[in-house]
Amino acid sequence: MTQRISKYQRFKMMNPIIQFFKYIYLSIKIMLIVAGGHGSTRKVN
Amino acid sequence: MAKIVVLGAGISGHAAASHLRRKLPKEHEVVVVSPNSNYQWIPSNIWVGIGRMKSEKILFPLAPLYKKKHIGYKQAKAVSFYPEGDQKEQKPYVLAEYVFGEQKGQQEKITYDYLINATGPKLNFEATEGLIPGKNKAYSVCTYTHADHAWEGLKKLIEQMKQGKKAKILIGTGHAKSTCQGAAFEYILNVEEELRKHKVRDMAEVTWISNEYQLGDFGMDGMLLSYGSMTMKSHEMIEMIFEDRDIKWILGAGVNKIEDGVAHYENLEGEQKSEIYDFAMLIPSFSGHGFKAFDKNENDITEKLFKGFMIVDANYTPKPYEEWSVQDWPETYQNPTYKNIFAPGIAFAPPHSISKPRKSKNGTEIFPAPPRTGMPSGITAKIVADNIIDTIKNGKESLTHKGSMGNMGAACIASAGFGMTTGSGVSITTYPIVPDYEKYPKTQGRQLSKTFGEIGLAGHWLKLSLHYAFIYKAKMRPFWWLIPE
Ligand SMILES: Cc1cc2nc3c(=O)[nH]c(=O)nc-3n(C[C@H](O)[C@H](O)[C@H](O)COP(=O)(O)OP(=O)(O)OC[C@H]3O[C@@H](n4cnc5c(N)ncnc54)[C@H](O)[C@@H]3O)c2cc1C
Repeated sequence: MTQRISKYQRFKMMNPIIQFFKYIYLSIKIMLIVAGGHGSTRKVN
Repeated sequence: MAKIVVLGAGISGHAAASHLRRKLPKEHEVVVVSPNSNYQWIPSNIWVGIGRMKSEKILFPLAPLYKKKHIGYKQAKAVSFYPEGDQKEQKPYVLAEYVFGEQKGQQEKITYDYLINATGPKLNFEATEGLIPGKNKAYSVCTYTHADHAWEGLKKLIEQMKQGKKAKILIGTGHAKSTCQGAAFEYILNVEEELRKHKVRDMAEVTWISNEYQLGDFGMDGMLLSYGSMTMKSHEMIEMIFEDRDIKWILGAGVNKIEDGVAHYENLEGEQKSEIYDFAMLIPSFSGHGFKAFDKNENDITEKLFKGFMIVDANYTPKPYEEWSVQDWPETYQNPTYKNIFAPGIAFAPPHSISKPRKSKNGTEIFPAPPRTGMPSGITAKIVADNIIDTIKNGKESLTHKGSMGNMGAACIASAGFGMTTGSGVSITTYPIVPDYEKYPKTQGRQLSKTFGEIGLAGHWLKLSLHYAFIYKAKMRPFWWLIPE
């Protein structure tokens, strides 16, 4: 096993407080990307 | 008064039927034809397959909901298509066969004004010799019953490992052209985490086997993504995760035969190899359902409707990878010959793959077929429903709602372990799903600010929130339509 994720990174990944804010941030970001619209590609060019 | 028939009640068919019913006045009829009496939220099958969620939590019966919402429902499977009707029936119809109850085995001509084919994929286990869910120690998590079996198999093995057995676990794709690598990726991470929780991780060798050329291809040709303050390739990110969790990998593998505890495969070098295992979960190839279509004189016109999956407004002209363009991808999901037929979700025939096609030295094609995950399946269903609604309301064809996978974002929240404080998830978003090399030439066809990866506990909470939100939405509870697809 190669430790590719450092202890500090892992702490950040699993810390509920940090992750709570990340959860809010990701929810908004994902919502903006996914619900942010879709459309045609053909009329562009 | 119009009659809209929806074939299939999966993510796509159910989304189309719900939107049609909500927006169309009651005089118009919406009828769903689907053989499975339950709606299932397929993404949560991963947790059923590790025993962390009961299959009852991911499904609910469709009949009572459809009755309450005035949506017609026939528990039947479509058999063949008659888009011009026949000598006796003037209207176009689908021939369907009931699969349950007193009418079981009976066939019915279900006429329509508009037809939505949302039958998804056929799980084509037969394409790989010996790949039968629950047989030869190989399992699937593609349906809730498969996932239940997978957990039974895994649980038994964990018990044996607790008694001192060393085990080999193999997870990935079970065919040279399988898709849905994302689901297998989630499953391998969850299984690995479960082994830790059961304190038997050191007894197991866990291996990923896949038709991908590189890790993190996911049938999307991989991606360049932002990860924290860095920009990295998806294969670097997945390599980091696999190495960190001591998961080995075999790539460019076209699994072609399964025997009891042995997976045989050909690799891109053209070598025939095999891998032994005590438990495997291998995603089969997906294919169309093999539907036939006939004109009003009963001549076979299958090639006007199907190319494996259903033909829609894509550009199917064969061309080399270097000439592929986002414009090849469909936007309205309408059949070009019969304009009252649509196919959203997995049911439409893609113009080509997204990943670069590769052949082994023996000429065997080994590369992922294009995925159409839950989000695009829901979005394309809504586009189809909205165009049909506009057409009915305006009295003339209206196709203003468009959504190409080359101009649509998707999020893949891959669970990497279950638990409110110990769980984890790999959240990846891409925009667009199909890379647009003209618009984003320097970032592998994708917009970097919208293509990112994150790893951590928040990913587990997100996946769990999506589970509850989408089941709420599917149950058509108050204000369900405010939840995006
Ligand atoms: C294990 C797993 C995990 C996944 N995880 C995710 C995830 O985390 N995120 C994500 O976005 N996507 C995920 N996906 C992909 C997602 O489930 C699919 O994209 C989605 O289900 C496709 O929707 P669909 O409606 O096109 O097809 P389906 O959901 O397959 O629905 C097809 C429907 O058609 C019905 N049908 C079949 N044959 C007939 C017939 N002859 N006549 C009438 N009806 C018929 C079926 O009963 C079913 O109701 C996952 C897939 C799997 C297998």
